[in-house]
Formats: sequence, C-alpha cells, structure tokens
Amino acid sequence: MTVYLIATLTLVAMAALAGLALNLQWGMGGLVNFGLFGFYMLGAYIAGLLTVQGLPPLVALGMAMLGVAALSAVSALISVRLSEDYLAIVTLGFAECLRLVISYEGWLTRGMLGVSGIERPFQAWWPRGWGDTGFLLLALLAVLIVYTVLQALARSPFGRLVRATRDDPGVVEALGKSVLAVRVRVFAIGGAILGLAGSLHAFYYSYIDPTQFGPIITAYAFMAVVVGGRGSNRGVVASAFTLIFLLEGSRFLIDLVPGLGASELAAIRLFLVGVGLVVLLIFKPDGFGREPRSALADKTSSRF
Amino acid sequence: MGQLLVNGIVAGLLLALPALALSLTFSVLRFANYAVGSYLSCGAYLVYIGNVLLGMPLWLAASAGAALFAVIAVGIDWLAYRPLRNRGGVTLLVASMGVAIALENVIRFFAGNSPRAYNVPVARPMRFGDIRLNHEQLTILVAVIAALAVVWIIFRFTRLGRMMRAVADNPDLAAVRGISRSRVVAYVWLIAGMLTTLSGVLVGLDANVEPQMGWTYLLPVFTAAILGGIANPMAAVAGALTLGIAEELATLVMPVHYRMIVTFLVMVALLLVRPWGLFGTRWVTK
Repeated sequence: MTVYLIATLTLVAMAALAGLALNLQWGMGGLVNFGLFGFYMLGAYIAGLLTVQGLPPLVALGMAMLGVAALSAVSALISVRLSEDYLAIVTLGFAECLRLVISYEGWLTRGMLGVSGIERPFQAWWPRGWGDTGFLLLALLAVLIVYTVLQALARSPFGRLVRATRDDPGVVEALGKSVLAVRVRVFAIGGAILGLAGSLHAFYYSYIDPTQFGPIITAYAFMAVVVGGRGSNRGVVASAFTLIFLLEGSRFLIDLVPGLGASELAAIRLFLVGVGLVVLLIFKPDGFGREPRSALADKTSSRF
Repeated sequence: MGQLLVNGIVAGLLLALPALALSLTFSVLRFANYAVGSYLSCGAYLVYIGNVLLGMPLWLAASAGAALFAVIAVGIDWLAYRPLRNRGGVTLLVASMGVAIALENVIRFFAGNSPRAYNVPVARPMRFGDIRLNHEQLTILVAVIAALAVVWIIFRFTRLGRMMRAVADNPDLAAVRGISRSRVVAYVWLIAGMLTTLSGVLVGLDANVEPQMGWTYLLPVFTAAILGGIANPMAAVAGALTLGIAEELATLVMPVHYRMIVTFLVMVALLLVRPWGLFGTRWVTK
C-alpha cells in the first residue's frame, strides 16, 4: 500500500508540474497549448537521451528545460500574433510531428524500441529499497520550487502584465508594452516547466517510448487547470492531487464491476475527463480555486 | 507524375469535406471546432453499424448515418457549445477538445481499438493509360464532388444559404433583418454533421475504420481550412486540393510516413506569410 501511495504521489507531482505550466500559459496568459504533451515528451527525450549518453542526470534535466523552453518560444513566435485558434493548432501540429520524428528517427531516438536504462538523479544517495521514496522527495521539491517561483511571478509586475495581455491585449499595446514579447516569454517559461515534468517522467520510469505520450497528457493538464481555477496555482496543485487519486483509484473498479476490461475502463475514464471538461466550463468556469489578486487590489478590497 | 497528381486530387477531396465543415462552422460561429476529427470517426462508425452489423448497402448506410449524425451534431451543439457561446473563442476551443475526447472514447468503449473495414465488393483498379484509379478513389471523386455541388447550390442559391452568409458576414446586422441566428446555427451543424459523416465513410473506404482515424485528419483538415482562409467555406475546398497535391508530391522527396510533417510545414509557412489564407481576406491578425 505504501508502495502504491508513493507511486501515485509521484504521478501527482508530475501532473501538478504539467498543470502549473499550463496554468501559466493558459490560465494566466490565455495561450491555448494543445500540444502540451509534445513539449513534455521532448523534455523526457532530451533528459533521457542525454543521461544515457553519460551526462549527469541533473545536467540533462537542465538541458531538457532549456531545450523545451527554446522550442516553445519558437512555436509561440509562429502564431502568437494571430488569434488563439492558431496557436492551438500550431502547438498540436508540432506535438504530432515530434511524435512522428521520435518514432521514425531510430538512429537518434531508438524509435519504437524506446530508450531504456535512464538513471535517476542522486540515485546512489538513497539506501537500497528507498530509491522511489527519494525520487518522490525530489519530485515534490521540484513542485515546491516551481510553485514558489510561479506564485512570486504571479504577484510580480510581470504577472500583472501577463494577466493584462490575456484580458485585453489592446490596452497593453496602448500602454507601450509588447504583447508579443510577453507571450513568447510566458510560453518559454511554461515550456521550461514542461521540460522539467517530462524529465521527471523519464527518470521515474527509467524507460521511455513514443507510445507513453499522447493527447491524454494534455487533457489531464487542462482538466487540472479547469478544476483548480484558471490562474490559481494552489487550486491547480490541489486538483492535480485529487484528479490523479480519482483516476488511479478507478483502477480498482475492475475488481468490483464484473465484465469490465482494462480498455473499457480506460475508455470510460477518458470519456468522463472529456465530459467533465465541458461540464465544468459550463457550470463552474472559474473552477474551485481563486486567482491571486494583485497587491493593490488586495489592499483596496480589504479597506472597503 | 500523372499518378501522383491523381492521388493528390483524391487525397485533397478527402480533406475537402471536413475542411468545408470546419470552416462553415467557423464562419458562422467564429469558433474552431477541434472535435471535427472525432465527428468524422463517429460518423464512420455509425455507418459501419448500418453497413456491416445491419447489412445495409453502403450508400444506404451512409445516408442513414449522415442523417443520424447530423442530428447528433446539433445535439452536441445544444448540450456543449450553446451554453458557452458568449464566453469567447478560447473557452469553446477547450470545450471542443473535451467533446473530442469524450466522443473518441465512446467509440473505444463500444468498438474497441482494432481497425475495421466496410463490407464492399473488392474490384480491380481501372487503368487509363499509365494512370490507375481504384474503385474507392472513384467513389471518393464522385461522392465529394456531388456533396460539394449540393453545398454550393445551398450556399449560393437558397434562402438558407443567404441567411448563412448574412450571419457569417455580420451577425448583428443579420439579426436586425430578422434572421434567427440559432436557426442558422442549427442548419450549419446539420450540414457539418452530414459532411463529416460522409468524409468518415470515404476515409474508411480509403483506409480503415478505427478510433484514431479522425485524430490523424485533424491537422490536415485545419491546414486545408486555413489555406483557403478559414472563414471562407468554399475556398477551404481549394485549400484542401492544394494541400492534397502538395502532400502527394512531397512523397518524391520525403518518406510517406512524414506526410503530416509536410502538412505542418505548409501550415507554418502559411501562418508566417499569409495567415489570412491563399484566398481569404485580411482579418485574422490581432
């Protein structure tokens, strides 16, 4: 049971990171990233391949964050000056093409065979049998750091600017700020976090192949942000926790409901994720969390 | 070369119907329906039920399936999209992603993941000089051109078509002139549902019927629609043909499994140079 708990909590940490990244890009910045899983996959592959080449895992992780951030910025540059629909399709196209390249360019990525034997950071530090716990602590630390940075960012003048570009880009332009620069930076920072999440995925499973990554990762991240409340980092972390425990817990239903196979159950689960997204958007568009207000807004609201 | 061109035209025609459906809904609702791929798969499976499980001939199953799915498309709009209509494009975008996931998994739940094929007689391909044309391709050619002609006639010469164009052009002005937007929207979903079902059948004839079939068509369909100028329905057809031929010609220099990368490159080049499409007018830039 403890083993199961540790495994589930590690999944929570990775889902929370993906959710936090999307919350920055979409929740705060209004940029729809439908290709989220592609950036996550890219992070996993950069970290995995570099580690297998003999680079220290932490260095590989850093490279993955930088690499994904750079590619995020590029894909944002293609389309951020257009309306949201275009960014969504460009990121989606990018992700699908990336999956194709990874599947077919075997000389670089080992194709469908996958990359195995990926070493975790600080693997030697933990006593035998405590490796998963140690990795969980590392993953939770990563979530804590990202959360703190994003909270600081949300309260900073830059955070205000990001929300302003979401709510009314015209006003931001009129005040002499470049909407394009803000959006590219937001997308790059989100990309770095996705690179981190993907690296953790590669380290945790120590084996990656293209079939592990699909639009479902994107769907879970959107679900986490919609449930948590767009813009609320705390809400997103809490909803990632709840979601993963619900989804993982539903595996036990196989034993309870006769005649239900694993693939049917997976289909029901994803069906509920899809319906849940729509229902929440209709009935609870602000989610269950609350976007942190700016310091000024807090002061004025407490005075009156 | 001639063969590649023929294959390209057929591939383009396969894209034309969903691209037309996408840009039709976009022009009236100003919302890019990411579920268009799942609509295609759902339609294909409905027709599969009629064709294989109930033993109807394919044309009958396709007509019944198209009619049924057209109603379903209107139903989805009522349940999922209508309540969100005033919340802006981004919310609708995410909602359509939710709809896409839900529909795809309804299919997976009932039909599983294995590919299926329609019950059609196998026939030898026809030859015209060097060019081979198989029966599936001929069916695609005839069915798509007929469907396009019908939509074009509706669009150009009927009261409904005028209403659709008016709402697409300026919803407020159309409302002032007494055009009921919700009625037009319902008709647009009916047409889009039929078009996607028909294209699902044709894609299923060309390849297989499987839950992923619509998802793989999503990127090309969007590219085709953008190529034509996304708010301009009939131009989407031209975009689809252009893209189909470009994809087919690219196989000369790239492996076939990288088709989607060709599509993506076309889209990126287009968005950088002419984001309002080859035939569209300049309104999309922010």
